Amino acid sequence: MKSHSAWGTSKNLVKFRIPTSDNLVPIRLDIEIDGQRFRDAFTWNPSDPDSEVVVFAKRTVKDLKLPPAFVTQIAQSIQTQLTEFRSYEGQDMYIGERVVPIKLDLRVNHTIIKDHFLWELNNFESDPEEFARSFCKDMGIEDPEVGPAIAIAIREQLYEIAVQSVTSAKESRLSKKGRRAGEIFSASKTGGNAVDLVKLFGNKSSVIRKRKEWDVYEPFVDLLSNEEVEALKAREERNIR
Amino acid sequence: MEKNFQELESYSVPSSSNWFSWSNIHEVERFSLREFFDGSSITRSPRIYKEYRDFIISKYREDPSRKLTFTEVRKSLVGDVSILHKVFTFLEKWGLINFDVKRNNEGDNCNGNGKTTSVGGEEEEESWKGRVKLEEGAPYGVRVVAAPNSMKPVAQLPPPTSVSVDGGRGIGEVGHNGFKWPPLASYSDVFADLAQQEKKGLVCRSCKENCDSMHYEYTKEGSFILCEKCFKSGNYEENNSADDFKLINSGNQNNVWTEAETLHLLESVLKHGDDWDLVAQDVQTKSKMDCISKLMELPFGDRMLGSAQRKRKFLDLTGDVSNLKQGKLAFKESQESAKVEDPSHELKDEGQQNGYTDTEGQPPKRIRMEPTSNTTYLMNQVARISTAVGPHVTASAAEAAVTALCYENQCSREVFDEDNIFVDLKASAENIEQKRAAQGNLLDGDEGPKQSEIQGPSSEKDTIQINLRMRAATATALGAAAAHAKYLADQEERRMEQLMAIMIETQMKKLKRKMKYFDELELIMEKENAHIEELEESLVADRLNVLQRIFNAGISRWKDHASVKSETGSVQ
Repeated sequence: MKSHSAWGTSKNLVKFRIPTSDNLVPIRLDIEIDGQRFRDAFTWNPSDPDSEVVVFAKRTVKDLKLPPAFVTQIAQSIQTQLTEFRSYEGQDMYIGERVVPIKLDLRVNHTIIKDHFLWELNNFESDPEEFARSFCKDMGIEDPEVGPAIAIAIREQLYEIAVQSVTSAKESRLSKKGRRAGEIFSASKTGGNAVDLVKLFGNKSSVIRKRKEWDVYEPFVDLLSNEEVEALKAREERNIR
Repeated sequence: MEKNFQELESYSVPSSSNWFSWSNIHEVERFSLREFFDGSSITRSPRIYKEYRDFIISKYREDPSRKLTFTEVRKSLVGDVSILHKVFTFLEKWGLINFDVKRNNEGDNCNGNGKTTSVGGEEEEESWKGRVKLEEGAPYGVRVVAAPNSMKPVAQLPPPTSVSVDGGRGIGEVGHNGFKWPPLASYSDVFADLAQQEKKGLVCRSCKENCDSMHYEYTKEGSFILCEKCFKSGNYEENNSADDFKLINSGNQNNVWTEAETLHLLESVLKHGDDWDLVAQDVQTKSKMDCISKLMELPFGDRMLGSAQRKRKFLDLTGDVSNLKQGKLAFKESQESAKVEDPSHELKDEGQQNGYTDTEGQPPKRIRMEPTSNTTYLMNQVARISTAVGPHVTASAAEAAVTALCYENQCSREVFDEDNIFVDLKASAENIEQKRAAQGNLLDGDEGPKQSEIQGPSSEKDTIQINLRMRAATATALGAAAAHAKYLADQEERRMEQLMAIMIETQMKKLKRKMKYFDELELIMEKENAHIEELEESLVADRLNVLQRIFNAGISRWKDHASVKSETGSVQ
């Protein structure tokens, strides 16, 4: 069942997609109309028909009892983000053997999550939702909004990296004559934010981290009181202005 | 491998995961996590897998009582979290980690769609537990009991079908030494037999044996039956001809086993083990379920050896179930005749727990179904075991057993009160003590009849009582055995303590000797020291003397000084 094809190989270019098992687009909404603000984040399946977008927007507005003006705004926002995603589709993206560090630093309601871990890009079996689920279970997080938030944060970062690798693949093709040379070039270039695989996984080093590094990669979860949340919100507002 | 073995000993791992080894990577691992073994990436190699695996397992074993979480593990491991998660769930699924931990299946915090993989792990665990339960059934018992007889596999025994009335004598000798008491029968065995016994087998008129599978019924006046054997050997009695008999292939054929079938069954069980489908195929005439239940009923050991010689001897016993008195007499007689031979057997079988016997007195297989004799065996077992412990221990074990049984069932209390079996048992224990003092080796042979005498009258009453007696006897025997074991253990411990004391004493002696030598050495050193001091003093005196003489001779002081100085300078 789980054949080798699930893993991207280092030699081939792959068509653009989110490098996880489900090709889902992270969508983030932040809409403000007449002093009323609506923020949300969720994933969208890009192969769904676009007519669904409006249906979804209408439904959301009805469920949350928002003013009807939100419908078009929400639909528009989603549509824009989807179009942007589709613009990359069909293009080559170079991932090769890349393991990227993913950093989480988010606040969901009263919970603060900070984490740091490695993610392999050419593992098309990876599942951010599953990861987030076990994270919440292991850390004993009860807030049901935390899990999806973590999953979406991971997806957003992966999306960004995927977009980068599309552009770098394009660049390398333009600047170099031969494809092979380009690959080597892109490999070294895209290695920018990725970790040094030979150093980490070579024969000499152990895959067990040194004890002093444990703290760096240790997840951090904190529950805030109401006052702290208010203070944080206020600070965020100030930062935006 | 050795390390692995030790690890497995101290940590519980499901039996389904016994492939695990610290030093190797098993096929299961290769198959389930094949991305590590296809060489597709530098980040996934067998070496890295092994490091992941070993780390996670050792981490869990630091404290097996708490549940190890993936989040806890991943901070210490370099690598893609997805692949780490896969390894983690794999290990959890096989129970190599988090096996001891009771997992509370809390709902998913996130999306709630689909089950987490750890649920799969639990299912695995449950199915494993289920398998363990299964092993307590019949097939397990087969293996256990087969072991003591491994010297003489059942397959080599003479097939009962060849044991004709005349020809069996010689063959009967084969089982002579191998004859053993049945192991303490389980309750279900006993009850199953009792239930069957109540139906009262058909008795052949000619040879007075039970006709189990097939018999011939006389169709004309009167009604009597002949067993298959007698019919075939033409033993029709009086003037009847073969035509007057009608073959009746017993209505209850499903429940009745011919000796040939039983032998088939045993042979194929030896050959195929637990594979009941194959066994049933071999036996042909019986279904799978029949085979299993038959095997459960079988008294194992050499009881299959029904030689004609013995059969004859016990015709009365087997033939007439109701006439217990008579049977008892016969039994007693044979016991007495066996006494003469007994000592030699005693010697031979001393080492075997269940191996003592008197061959002559052993009724053939079918007699086992008779409640009384069953009790007798049990009683003998009790007697044998209790000889090892002494009467008081046995008595208290019996008391405990009876009390336990009373708790279990109210009606048993009445039975015990009525019959005062407790007193019987106690008396038997005392009895044993006397016999042991008086007769030494002969005790076991003698004890049997005594016990059966005690049991005799009561067995005419309700069979329930017998069951209870047997259970009480079994429990008593077990209790006595336990007490004996405790006694032996205590003895061992005392011996160990004694040896320890001797060892410590010897060490002390050694140390004392050493101390003495050191003292002597010190003395010598002191003497030496004094001697050297003396020497030193005389040297100083000599030097003074020499200086004195130099001054007297009139050599100037500065010259002397210079010479000394130059001397030292050259040395330097």
